[in-house]
Amino acid sequence: MELWRKARFAVRKKIAFFILLGWALLIIGDRVDELRVYQGAQIAMYTIALASIVLLTGYSGQVSLGNGAMMAVGGYSAALTLNNLQTPIWFAFLMAILVSALFGSLLGAAAARLAGPYLAGTTLALAVGLPAIANQFSFLGGEPGLLFDVGFPPESFGEEFTQYKWFFWISGVIALIALFITSNILQSRFGRTWRAIRGNSLAAELAGIHSARMKVLAFTISSALAGLAGAVLAMNISLVAPGAYSLALSFALVTGAVLAGVSSLPGVVLGGLILVAIPEIADALAGSLGSADKFNNYLPGLISSVLLILSVIYTPNGPGENLRKHLGKKHA
Amino acid sequence: MQKVIETLLIGLTTGSIYALMSLAIVLVWRSTRVINFAQAGQAMFATYIGFEISSRSEVFWLGLLFAVVGGALLGAGVDYFFMRVLFKHANSGPAAVVAPVIATLGLLGLIRSIVGLSWGGEFKTIKSPVSTDGYTLGSTTIPFSALNAVIIITVSIILIALAILFQRTNLGLALRASAYAPEIAKLAGIRTAQTRTIGWAIAGGVGGVAGMLVTANNFLSPYSLDLLLVFGFIAAVIGGLESMVGAVIGALVLGIGLTIILNYVGTSLVFIGGFVVLIVVLLVKPDGIMAKGKVRRA
Amino acid sequence: MIGKTRRKRTWFVAAVLATGSLLATALPANAETGVTSSEIKLGITLPLTGAASPGYNKIGNAMNAYFKYVNDNGGVYGRKINLIQKNDEYSPQLAIAKTNELILKDKVFALVGPLGTATYTAVHKSVGIARRGVPSLFLNTGFSGFANKKSFPTSFTILPSYAMEAKIAAQFLKENFAGKKLGLVYQNDEFGIDALGAFKAAGVKFDVSIPYTSGTQSSATAQTWVSQLAAGGAQVVVFFGVTSATAALLGVAAAAKYAPQWVLGSVGSDPLILRALGVPVAVLNGALTLAGNPSPNDTTDEYVKQFQEINTKYNPGVAFDDYVLQGMNVGLMTVQALRAAGQNLTRKKLISAMETKGSTFASVAYSPLGYSKTSNVGHTGYYMAVMDATGDRKPFGGSVVLYTTDSGSGPVVKATPKRPAMPAKGLPSNS
Repeated sequence: MELWRKARFAVRKKIAFFILLGWALLIIGDRVDELRVYQGAQIAMYTIALASIVLLTGYSGQVSLGNGAMMAVGGYSAALTLNNLQTPIWFAFLMAILVSALFGSLLGAAAARLAGPYLAGTTLALAVGLPAIANQFSFLGGEPGLLFDVGFPPESFGEEFTQYKWFFWISGVIALIALFITSNILQSRFGRTWRAIRGNSLAAELAGIHSARMKVLAFTISSALAGLAGAVLAMNISLVAPGAYSLALSFALVTGAVLAGVSSLPGVVLGGLILVAIPEIADALAGSLGSADKFNNYLPGLISSVLLILSVIYTPNGPGENLRKHLGKKHA
Repeated sequence: MQKVIETLLIGLTTGSIYALMSLAIVLVWRSTRVINFAQAGQAMFATYIGFEISSRSEVFWLGLLFAVVGGALLGAGVDYFFMRVLFKHANSGPAAVVAPVIATLGLLGLIRSIVGLSWGGEFKTIKSPVSTDGYTLGSTTIPFSALNAVIIITVSIILIALAILFQRTNLGLALRASAYAPEIAKLAGIRTAQTRTIGWAIAGGVGGVAGMLVTANNFLSPYSLDLLLVFGFIAAVIGGLESMVGAVIGALVLGIGLTIILNYVGTSLVFIGGFVVLIVVLLVKPDGIMAKGKVRRA
Repeated sequence: MIGKTRRKRTWFVAAVLATGSLLATALPANAETGVTSSEIKLGITLPLTGAASPGYNKIGNAMNAYFKYVNDNGGVYGRKINLIQKNDEYSPQLAIAKTNELILKDKVFALVGPLGTATYTAVHKSVGIARRGVPSLFLNTGFSGFANKKSFPTSFTILPSYAMEAKIAAQFLKENFAGKKLGLVYQNDEFGIDALGAFKAAGVKFDVSIPYTSGTQSSATAQTWVSQLAAGGAQVVVFFGVTSATAALLGVAAAAKYAPQWVLGSVGSDPLILRALGVPVAVLNGALTLAGNPSPNDTTDEYVKQFQEINTKYNPGVAFDDYVLQGMNVGLMTVQALRAAGQNLTRKKLISAMETKGSTFASVAYSPLGYSKTSNVGHTGYYMAVMDATGDRKPFGGSVVLYTTDSGSGPVVKATPKRPAMPAKGLPSNS
């Protein structure tokens, strides 16, 4: 009985926290210029995508390099739904979630028997191969892709309310809801079960956990999140194209997740911030070095690679772990 | 009929280049238990060195030599300075599984950025040492040229050399022992850490050859070897990651399979074709073609 | 446990708010974006690296060289032009990201010469070029869809469209190669499909038709093209693709000893770049190509001569070829447009200047400019040129026979070329 009341209280507190966060974002959105608002929308998109990695790799221990491909599935599903069926936007996002969850469950079923490098390699092949399919079938738009138009903000918001701000609002709300739900899932028995499987698969089986089924579930939910992120990305750039879901994106997601703590959900916000900040920092660096833009495209890669390597060596479990060790607190 | 022969010949050629890359990956895997995603990055760096030498000296083979040496040095350097540090630090927590994979990914990005910043991203070309005209038999010209033949011959020589090294020399024995049973090898007096570095050096050199061969008469850019990475890796996994013979077989199977898809199905489906081949093999034999029963995994 | 979570969460919210307040910037009060009393900021996105970059990556620096020359000679009413180049690697979503940077971060006054059909289509929609009223001059693409003034009110093309080019090529094929087996290789996005439609409308039927996906060009894929063309017995092969694809096709064809009559589209046919990419000169000899400008080696042409001088001084070490010529020409037209907009420079005035005075600007290309209040189309025609044994380009038949047409169903008309004179010393003095 006590546990029940406590649990409900914890959930209520969490809801309050997220509402507070949303309110803060609203205020921020009004105070910054359009570029920052646009970047905010991209950060929101990354947080959802990184959450998918935290769930899959951080919690259930399955290393996947193919989250970019799942984002593509989501993005294209949303675009095809919106363009061909003329449905409201939220329906397009819903389709993105459902279709990528379906693909994820299939992938998970195939991958449940694989571990370590075999899984990594398979998902790598998927990340490279899936976006290229867009070039084979013309209804997928080929290399130039398909336009994804969610329309303009309502007239009542006034003239100053730009489209990028509208994207910020939508992606922010979606991200908050997605993170809330994911947080609940991770703190439930599902999360504990995944951690058990990640720690020692054999012991988990002996304890009665059906590891294959849980692994597939992890893939399914993770892919649903990735698909949602893919749809949000499509909205932000008004486009789905193979180039937007390239192998580089999958690598970037893994980078962001590791930098911010691959098993820490709050870390996804930091990860998103980092992923958006790196090109900015690279640009500023390039500007002060004065080099031609043909070299500049390699600076973000340099910065993120260096950061990734340093963090893997010195804080492989994310900065949170080192902070905890430092402050002497026990990890519950 | 002609198309079948063409497909087979081209498949063999591409497969043999993948074989070099998959060999390198298996070599590193067996000695370090790490999938080195940076293998293609090292190969790319070695190829740029080869490009510099071959374009200045106008001799392809000189460039190849420097690529091998450069690749070997880089491979040894990566193992010595990078991998050892990595294993010292990242050995606990949920990230221990993930860390080496991520680290080599980071290394790949790092090498790519450095190459891009040093040479720029524009396409470079390496001239092929032999003619790239297809052989003419009677009235038809098949797309199999002297270069293709050179590739197959070179790869075969390397494979034979490596086989002799591993089966007939003390070093080869040491390499195999250090990979398969490091504790016992140490007891037998083998300096496993050094041996491992040598293994990385060999892998790096082999990768350099692969890079030079695939770039001859093609475009070189910081991204041009990405395909080699993916396909080399898929080939290694198909072959089972535990055996060098498997790596070669897997590569040839993949090369021929992909060329079949390229010629008969469509150019855009080549990549997803690779994925399909991989998944099919892994579903039937999750440890690869050459796996015999229970094999040690990660 | 709850206490610890609460503490973690509070820290979290505080961090978010702190970051937020750091980011808050007051919106600057501005006369006109990108214009100050001493500077005009312009932006361009183009492939500086990547599969499509050979050749095109010289255009930005060529434009810059010309702008520096003008800046050294008083600029535009005393304002210096600052061109910001961003590398989009011919990828639509990268182009979107870079254009966002140009418009929201660098706050450029206008875009000049953005390159690529797929890239600009994506950018126009995603960044909202028309909605923001950003002038987008001299698009480096021939997609006829951009010729729609209603959909693209602030954009102006300069190159004849691919539809126009295909109609002219079709006319030429009918006049000179009737009865031969025809082959076509084209990039299967708006770039090539534009041309395909026009060929169909002109009644030209290809015996072998091969689409390829942008970015997949390589000697391996070119192998499949050549096999199909040879198997189909094509005697005349028309090619619409970027330079690196042209190089792959010609290189592989030479190796396979397949030598049809090549008819190359204007986009990927600069002989210098093709040779740099490894195409033997022997293969180029006799190849036909549609061109809008005189050959970049023709120093008897006043435009070419002046541009070459500027190039030597302001773009040292760079060989003067089609791309450099193109870039400098865009620079020349941009300066004329900026001058025509007047000293009180605003975006609206620039657009209006293009509409009312654009058709009178001096340009190196032979065909007339079609800018008006109802049309945002630049040049409207091509002539057929043939490459010789040195890789240079000469007019087919000895002298320039200009064909002009439109992107629709209008007829193809032969005309004598008539151009405004090059401004003295290459420095416009129009207003």
